[in-house]
Formats: sequence, structure tokens, C-alpha cells
Amino acid sequence: MAVTTKNLPQLYRFCFLMTGDATKAQAAFQETVREAATRAASDEPAPDRLWFFRDARWRCVALGEQGIQAEPGMLEEAEISATAPMQIQQLDPAQLALWISAAPEPQRSALALFYLDEFSLAELLSLLEMKAGELSELICSGRRQFQSWLDSTFAYYEGETLDAGQV
Amino acid sequence: MPDKSELLLGCAPITDRPGTDRAMRMAIQGARRAPKKAVTFGHQQAFDAAIAKVVRSIPVDAQIAEWFVNENLIPVVPRGWKKIVRNPVVIAIATALLVIGAVVAYRITEHLRDFPGADKARRLLSVGASNRSVLLDPLQTDAGALSDLFFLKHRLEHYDVPAEFAEFKTLGSRVFDDDEVLRVAQIWVKEKRMQFFLFPAEPDKQGKINDFSDWRFVELEGWTGAVTQRNGVCFMAAIRGGEKDLRGYLEKKKQ
Repeated sequence: MAVTTKNLPQLYRFCFLMTGDATKAQAAFQETVREAATRAASDEPAPDRLWFFRDARWRCVALGEQGIQAEPGMLEEAEISATAPMQIQQLDPAQLALWISAAPEPQRSALALFYLDEFSLAELLSLLEMKAGELSELICSGRRQFQSWLDSTFAYYEGETLDAGQV
Repeated sequence: MPDKSELLLGCAPITDRPGTDRAMRMAIQGARRAPKKAVTFGHQQAFDAAIAKVVRSIPVDAQIAEWFVNENLIPVVPRGWKKIVRNPVVIAIATALLVIGAVVAYRITEHLRDFPGADKARRLLSVGASNRSVLLDPLQTDAGALSDLFFLKHRLEHYDVPAEFAEFKTLGSRVFDDDEVLRVAQIWVKEKRMQFFLFPAEPDKQGKINDFSDWRFVELEGWTGAVTQRNGVCFMAAIRGGEKDLRGYLEKKKQ
């Protein structure tokens, strides 16, 4: 599939979810697009849509390795609650990006690509170079961990959302 | 351990999209039909949709947004025919097609020149290429004189050596039975170690035997045979070499 400027906002969002930082996302995005333009101008085959996300992924991973790193550890998990959509509504995109960017690889890439809602399963597996079972496990555990984080951050009581300070 | 459909459900698409594979569609349908699973799956879908909504709301920086305005940001350079021709894949395919074409053309030309009995002649060329003079009974005479020997000793009628080769001095001869060619007379001559073969003619598709007095050529693994057919018997002069090595003898006699 050809890459048009319509795909580029999604590419930027992917970079933002991967890095959790607008400056880093901008840097990864610009480097990827520049590289694509250079390739297109030279004799190399024109990059396709997946190439952009693959290239951006490794740039974001490299950028993520600079600066403060999240400490590895087991996050608590909770079952997906019926009130989760109301809790998520309260989220700021930057909070979501920070949470995803703090996840370890390859879960971070899996969550960022999956929630872009841009790719088919086959494309996701190709981008992430993993099997469906592995992807499923990463997404499922990510959901439960995120639910647990939501529960601790935004409690929801009968139509009323309260942040942690109010509970 | 979760089964395959449960694994697939874990990464079910957030929005229905065309092109979802069959296994995934089946897993989703199954989950929606089972009451208990339907609730859990419903929660998962709502959860995913809510997060996807937040992702879509990620603001794009104004500086970045400028990049999207330029449609020619990533120029799509049309591939020229020179580039296409230089592509190794195209070169490989073209070479393969050329080789296949050449082989087909060669086979067609070969078959156009073929005559009934050409296969027998080729088989005898392989016999000529593989055997040695010790297999033959030593006999030093003119090749033309062997017609009588073949008739009197082996009852082979019309096994005559044509005038073009009748005066060649022989080294030896033999008569043998071949599964496909039947009764074959083989003569070895001194001249360039040539071999002559006389064998029954092959009928055509209508079952008729059509003699031909001209010379027709067959080739096999570096050997060439000049064949003529008279009175229902084929004569083949075989030589290691090409058609031009035999043409000299055939044209000499014409003069």
C-alpha cells in the first residue's frame, strides 16, 4: 500500500505512544520521513506503509533507551471492568502515552501499534515479527495491567468518576 | 492454556474491518454467541475502543502538521524502463525465457527435419558412439561388396551400401538384433573411422513405407548420421563430427 500524507498523523501518534514525549516523537517521526524521502529519491525500492512504522519503531526504541528508564518489575493486574470506558474517558492522551512508553519491549510496540487501530492482524504480526499467541498474551496482560493502573488512578462509583485523591 | 480462538480474541480488531481472516471472524462470532464469553468480550471491546479513541485524540504538533500539507513529501519516482530492465529478477526471467525459447525452437526445427526412422537412426548413433571395433568380425573389402554377404549369410534383402560409400574399405562388420531397430547390419570402414548402419525402414503414420533418395541428417551427442532410404531399408553413414564432415562425401559423388 502506498504511503500518503494521510498515514503520517498516525505515524506521529505511534511515535508519541512509543516515546511518551512530544520532542522525542517529533525527532523519530522526522528522521523516519527524511529516510523515506532519501530512499524514494535514490535507486532503492520506495518504502511502503509498514516500512515507515518499522523504521519509526526502532528509532523510538533507541530514543527510549536514552534518559530515565522505567524499573523492570511485575505490574499488578486486574480484570477488565465494565466501567473501564468511563475511566478511560478521563485520560489525557499524554497519560496514556506515558503508560505505554513505560512498558517493556516488545509489549510497548505491540500496544502502540494495536491501539492505533490501523493494522490488520497479519500486518501487526509482520511488524512485530511475532506469532499471534505472543501478541495476544502481550495485549491481554497490557489490558489487565492498564485496568489495574486505571483502578488505582481513576476510581468510578455509580456514574461518578473520582481521581485517586478523592477516594 | 487458552485455545486458539481465545488467543485470537485477545488481539481481536478494535473496529470491524474488511479483510479480517476467517479464523478471527469465527473466534469473534463464537465469543458473541456464548453468553458468558460475550460479556467478557464486550468489556474488552469497549475497553479497546475507548483507548483507541484516546489515541485518535493525540494532538499533532503544529510543526509536524506542516509536513502533512506537502503531498510531495515522499516523491514517488516512476520506474523507468532502463531501471526495470536492469533489475536482476527481470534479467533472470528474460534469460530463462530465452533459453526455453531456444530449446523449444531447436526441438521444433529438429522435428520438422525428422523422418520416420529418425529415432531408430539416433539410437544407432548411440550404439556407434559406444562400441569398439573388436565387436565386429574383421573383414577387409569394399563396403559395396557386403550386400551379397548380408543376403547370403543373413538373408537380409536390399541391405545395399549406396554408391557414395560403396568403394570405402571396410575394417569389419556384424549383424545384430536390436529390441527397437530389429535386424541391423553394422560396417566399420577405414575412412575417418566411419560406421555404416543398415536397418529396416520405419512405416509412416498410415503404415506406408516411403523411400527417399536424398540424404537426411540426425545428430546425437557429437555424432552425425546421413540417412537415405531405398527398398524399405535405411542406410546411415555415421561419423563423429558435424553435418559438414559428411556433406563432403555426399557432394563428391554428385560431381
